[in-house]
Amino acid sequence: MIHIEANRRHLLATIRTAALRHAERPALVIEEKIYTYAQLFRQVAVICRRLEGYAGNVVGVTGENALETYASLLAAWFTGKAYVILHPDYPAERNRQIVGQAGIELVLYARQDILPDDLSLPRCCTAEGATADEGCPDLPPDTFLADTTAYIIFTSGSTGTPKGVPISHANLDAFYAAYRSLGWKLNENDRLLQMFELTFDVSVVSFFYPLTLGACVYTVPQEGMKYLQVLDLMERHRLTFAAVAPSVLRLARPYFHELSFPDLRYLVVTAEASDADLLEAFRPCIPHAEIINLYGPTEATIYCTRYTVPAHGCKQHNGMVAIGKTFAGMKAVIVGEDGQPLPTDTTGELWLSGPQLMTGYWQQPELTAQCFVRRDGRLYYRTGDLCRHDADGDLIYCGRKDNQVKIQGFRIELGEIEHCAKEFYAHRCNAVVLALQGEGGCELHLVVEHAPEDTAALMQHLQSRLPAYMLPKRIHFLPVFPLNKSNKTDRPRIRQLIG
Amino acid sequence: MKTTAEILEALNGIFRHVLKNESLNLTETTTAHDVDGWDSLTNMLLISEVEKAFGVRFNFREIVKMKNVGDLCAAIANKMKP
Repeated sequence: MIHIEANRRHLLATIRTAALRHAERPALVIEEKIYTYAQLFRQVAVICRRLEGYAGNVVGVTGENALETYASLLAAWFTGKAYVILHPDYPAERNRQIVGQAGIELVLYARQDILPDDLSLPRCCTAEGATADEGCPDLPPDTFLADTTAYIIFTSGSTGTPKGVPISHANLDAFYAAYRSLGWKLNENDRLLQMFELTFDVSVVSFFYPLTLGACVYTVPQEGMKYLQVLDLMERHRLTFAAVAPSVLRLARPYFHELSFPDLRYLVVTAEASDADLLEAFRPCIPHAEIINLYGPTEATIYCTRYTVPAHGCKQHNGMVAIGKTFAGMKAVIVGEDGQPLPTDTTGELWLSGPQLMTGYWQQPELTAQCFVRRDGRLYYRTGDLCRHDADGDLIYCGRKDNQVKIQGFRIELGEIEHCAKEFYAHRCNAVVLALQGEGGCELHLVVEHAPEDTAALMQHLQSRLPAYMLPKRIHFLPVFPLNKSNKTDRPRIRQLIG
Repeated sequence: MKTTAEILEALNGIFRHVLKNESLNLTETTTAHDVDGWDSLTNMLLISEVEKAFGVRFNFREIVKMKNVGDLCAAIANKMKP
């Protein structure tokens, strides 16, 4: 077996080195219980031994908040297998579909065997059995690992079949090299948050990056209210780094004046477009923290652009914070409908290229062909996101491409109407505009996250700012917007709720 | 001064209304895990309806500490003390 610990850029090798060096330091805090690096890696070694007899390349792991769950993810990597998360909250049918699609032949779980009984599949309870005094497992050979898939994230596809995004160790190492070069001043004394569901890729960096430093990861309990749990954890354990979805902050907004996190040095906002006004309102709660917006599609490995949000003069579009500059090694181009590059300050679709890009969707060549373009010898992924480059070379995020519609020949950016509605409520609530098929063609429906009320004043506000063709045909109220598993506003669900 | 039973009955009405579930029966040991639709989002709404109905206001720490319906009842009773 070739040992490659000398190569510090290699993610798994770095984690292994940190684990050996910081053996007695805390690696994970789960439900108030502290686990040291030695404890975590003893568990990893035990699971690795169980996986040695498994011939399959893909292992299923139940997404739980347990030491054994996190150890299973590492064990999959150390044995050169890809992990796929099955979620206790998913309908049984969806888990079954993912098992079939990914070719999972073994499922690891800590406490909950969530698979339907009629699915004949070996399951292994990782919380049972010996936790022998085994040390850190050896690494697989470097050459073997590079092309090996590290994880597959399944997201809902528009056709009803979940689409799998396989990310290789080569992708992950490229991401890691770029991410660590962002200049974080973090070390083994830092305390970092992991609030994301394991089915969502931001959980990957939230979990492994602290381990490369010998630092401590704080996970969020699955029971109870997530936004309360997150802020409570940040406050009581004086976390120094937190990557959060803006929805956490949005829900806690009425309590900002009571909240204070003086130890926090970095607040990363991610998962969906951040509201500039919301961050400004939260800033007094985190007097010593830098606020950083990180953007990236799952297909390009977690994040691939960064924008540091300044205290004054935040770059934004319709209230959405800019996404800034691409990570080292990644290339971004803005193209028009004809696929030709657009000049500065012109909005078009964002295409990404570089070593963080996956090579294609899991067993879906047609979908892959639709989303990738080869141009000048480079492979580009079409993100479906609208952006423009400003004169400083920063990427300004302008919303989803499918959030742009054409009505009566006019190109309409739904985000602009949403921004205008939020403005009316002084940015205290969220708003979504849906383009629905009505009797007379495409109709705009504005949905406001607010208790039902008279719409006359709101309508007047919209009329004073928007051309007639952009005015919503109907206004709906929902007291709270539903979120999907990735903590993003669930637009398809809102569509059902108002339907 | 309201008794716990009276507070619980009022809460039942609020929860049934907000969560649109007329068959809901809260007890002091009920947690969010036991009730369909009681999540981060509806929690915000429930708290604000409870605050309105009882004429009280909870701070962030108080809300974090509420682990079940009994905790909520106790917090309301505590706020309503003369």
